[in-house]
Amino acid sequence: MRYLGMVAAAISALNAALGAVFAWLSLGIVVVCFSVVVLRYAFATSFVWMQDLYIWLSGAMFTAVGGFALLRDSHVRVDIFYRPASERRKAWVDLIGSVVFLLPFMFVVIAYSWPFVARSWSFAEGSANVGGMPGLFVLKSFILLFAGAVALQGIAMICRSILILGGRGDLVPRRMRYDELAAAEGAA
Amino acid sequence: MDPVLIGELLSGLMFFGIIAFLLLGFPVAFTLAGVSLLFGLVGMAFGVFDPSNFGSLPNRYIGYMTNEVLVAVPLFIFMGVMLERSRIAEQLLLTMGKLFGNLRGGLGISVILVGALLAASTGVVGATVVTMGLISLPAMLRAGYDPRLATGVICASGTLGQIIPPSTVLIFMGDMLSSINSQVQMEKGNFAPVPVSVGDLFAGALLPGILLVGLYTAYTIFKAITDPESCPATPVPADEKRHLPREILVALLPPLLLIIAVLGSILGGIATPTEAASVGAVGAMILAALRWRLSFGVLRETAVATATITSMVFIILFGASVFSIVFRLMGGDNLVHEFLAALPGGRLVAVAMVMAVMFLLGFILDTFEIIFIVIPITAPVLLALDVDPVWLGVLVGVNLQTSFLTPPFGFALFYLRGVAPNSVRTGDIYKGVLPFVVLQIIGIAILFIFPQIVTWLPKVAAG
Amino acid sequence: QDKITWRMVTTWPKNFPGLGVGAQRLADRITAASGGRLSVQVYSAGELVPPLQSLDAVIDGTAEMSHGAAYYWQNKSTALSFFTGVPFGMTARELTAWVRYMGGQELWDEIYDQFGVKGFLSGNTGTQAGGWFREELTGLDDIKGLRFRTPGLGGRVWEKLGATVTNMAGGEIFQALQSGTLDAAEFVGPYNDLALGFYQVAKNYYFPSFVEPGLATELVVDKSKFAELPEDLQAIVEFVCAAEYDQVASDFYANDPRALQTLVNDHGVNVRQFPEEIVQAGAQASKELIQELQDSDDDLTQRTTASFLEALKLLRNRTETIDGTFVAARAQYFDL
Ligand code: NA
Ligand code: NA
Repeated sequence: MRYLGMVAAAISALNAALGAVFAWLSLGIVVVCFSVVVLRYAFATSFVWMQDLYIWLSGAMFTAVGGFALLRDSHVRVDIFYRPASERRKAWVDLIGSVVFLLPFMFVVIAYSWPFVARSWSFAEGSANVGGMPGLFVLKSFILLFAGAVALQGIAMICRSILILGGRGDLVPRRMRYDELAAAEGAA
Repeated sequence: MDPVLIGELLSGLMFFGIIAFLLLGFPVAFTLAGVSLLFGLVGMAFGVFDPSNFGSLPNRYIGYMTNEVLVAVPLFIFMGVMLERSRIAEQLLLTMGKLFGNLRGGLGISVILVGALLAASTGVVGATVVTMGLISLPAMLRAGYDPRLATGVICASGTLGQIIPPSTVLIFMGDMLSSINSQVQMEKGNFAPVPVSVGDLFAGALLPGILLVGLYTAYTIFKAITDPESCPATPVPADEKRHLPREILVALLPPLLLIIAVLGSILGGIATPTEAASVGAVGAMILAALRWRLSFGVLRETAVATATITSMVFIILFGASVFSIVFRLMGGDNLVHEFLAALPGGRLVAVAMVMAVMFLLGFILDTFEIIFIVIPITAPVLLALDVDPVWLGVLVGVNLQTSFLTPPFGFALFYLRGVAPNSVRTGDIYKGVLPFVVLQIIGIAILFIFPQIVTWLPKVAAG
Repeated sequence: QDKITWRMVTTWPKNFPGLGVGAQRLADRITAASGGRLSVQVYSAGELVPPLQSLDAVIDGTAEMSHGAAYYWQNKSTALSFFTGVPFGMTARELTAWVRYMGGQELWDEIYDQFGVKGFLSGNTGTQAGGWFREELTGLDDIKGLRFRTPGLGGRVWEKLGATVTNMAGGEIFQALQSGTLDAAEFVGPYNDLALGFYQVAKNYYFPSFVEPGLATELVVDKSKFAELPEDLQAIVEFVCAAEYDQVASDFYANDPRALQTLVNDHGVNVRQFPEEIVQAGAQASKELIQELQDSDDDLTQRTTASFLEALKLLRNRTETIDGTFVAARAQYFDL
């Protein structure tokens, strides 16, 4: 049981770190896109790579923080029965959902994306736009990062469910506790 | 049994299966994908689904990750969150309240105006209603407003914000309808279709949005006259009144001008929505900086909120892709097509049918899930029946908004309940939104009778 | 005998004049010629995968065939541009001569081998239109800072001429052109452009597109699945592609001038030629670009460029001295 708590804590820490780092890409999108606008309208110049860059930053951002969003319970749920449910009931829902829906989904994404991403690496694929950004293979790899991070967070959720159902809710890492999440949402 | 029939049967079952499983409360994006995968497996067993079709998933995902039009989504979210976290939005609301404060119902009207324009640039109805519930509700209750009127105003204008541009919902809708429309027109042999863009959706939604704002305002004024107790004036003390002109200049005008400039440049066709959104985001940062509010903390909060909200929305799109692959390739598209095309009464009945389904889905699902699932399935049929794409998009928005408001299931009500003080009874919330539901129905009827309210502005903007 | 069903993804919208129609007809012809033994189901742009992911869909086994243009995949190998057409490159006829008889197909196979696919020529638009310009062009100075939507290698050429080149989603072009976000846009030619309504907002239609002298389309097949087909089915695929190359080219040749007539007579479009100065500078810029490809670090790109240039040297001699002089003579002396 103690190990489950540690696994959940480690995964959560990883996703929290991913979130803290990659969230800044949103500022990057703003800055690069705004620069493109200024260059085009004020200086009548443009660079295809810059037009690629802010789009790619967006794609990298929303995939990289997928697990973090799950950690923070930011993904929309149908609340009617879930919100008023007891912790044990929530634990059951998250256990079943993670095992039956989330992990198979992420498995399929990884299985079908792996050759796709590996191929892109093998010839250092760049932007489809002539004069665009190099390194499309890096952006494509974010699909795997997304699936990996979300799958890990799913495993952390399974750990949480087992702990709660096993009567050891006290071992659930703080940032994953249902009451903490509910409080954070209220403050949002 | 005929494999075509098996496939269609399974895809129909899948639709209802998903709804059933969603009620469990596991995150929508993953439930959508997970249930679809299970049905894909069943389809495989019956030989009506080929799993190699899942190979299109990474291709679709990288398509979303490199979609130029959709980058407007994080940019508008950034702008909205920055205005909110730097408390510019709140100040705008308070100043507007003071401006109209001497009038009965004035504060309510301010909430309607600001909420509609600003609140839902993020597009997430739940979050919007929560935010407005936290900012506006206490102010209105303190001013002595009838809780019923206060909660009604907040729910209605909070959900209306998703239709009034800037709105991320309209960005997704525009992106989808634009490609569906060109496909459908080509298929019909119309090689000179009028293209539909996100800008058109923004333009098309503006007048209907103003119409609804007008209806809400008219109702508030009606209440102020017939039931003055429900929305008392909030007189501004003399010393504050002296500062009011300055406050209007500092707190009210800049953000208002920013939003108008951003919208104006899109509607005037000067900039694409993405370009305008980046200007809006930078403008929001400048406004925050001018007030010494652009701290590292605010910047980080904005970045984190932008990233998580954007991620949440796109991952629903990822999950919906799995649904759409399985549904389409098992023949579900044909099923819907045959059903809608065979309806007696032509296109208006078909539209009404789709709207009814969306309305019901609106009791449990947020806008994004509904449009990601329903639009790709039904819009091709409706557009083929010569339904105007912009009108359809706006009607979907208003319809969903009505659904979110309708007791007892309307889920905006649940969210407001969650943040409203205990002194506000659930019954008050239900009774409070009812008049607004009636106003919505009037609004929808007007849009049905006078579709020009939607289609006129995009045409004018297009010259 | 077993019936085989193959999925064909395309980069074109369904029924898109010339190209989308050609993809559908190619599929139907394979199905018909094989008596239904190989039936091809078409998924047009976005139905199964986004249009620019079509090749990946075949490589990943999500589809067995893709109908598109090879230069969309220039980020997989720069050399692929040559099999669609390059600025100041080959005409439709010259391209088939190179691909079929002068080593082109072998190089193409070598490039696509890396991805487990094989390409066939499947259509050609002929020489395209140079683009729609809001203002009349008087010389090179008018290009400086001109906001021009034109993709690919052609875009690079215009960039070298001083234009501000943007990549813009198809659905956004019309509005951008109308509002002045764009000063000019290039798409295909009259047959397709008429459909997009650009004539409503830009009246100057420039010819010819020296950056797209003959856009060839391709049919890509999954190489190993193709090899598993019985020989007669393989032959059917190959012959239908060859027939389609000609069919599509004829479709454009017949309908481009008809559409242009409509544009001029009904919509008041001014058909113009690019000023000499621009064409000259365009040729110089194209030369620099192709030289860059010749000096590429990538062995296949280098060899493809060399083979292409060698073939072009021979072919242009024929085109210019025989076809060209005849066309000039007919224009000058023969009117009936
Ligand atoms: Na809004
Ligand atoms: Na072209």
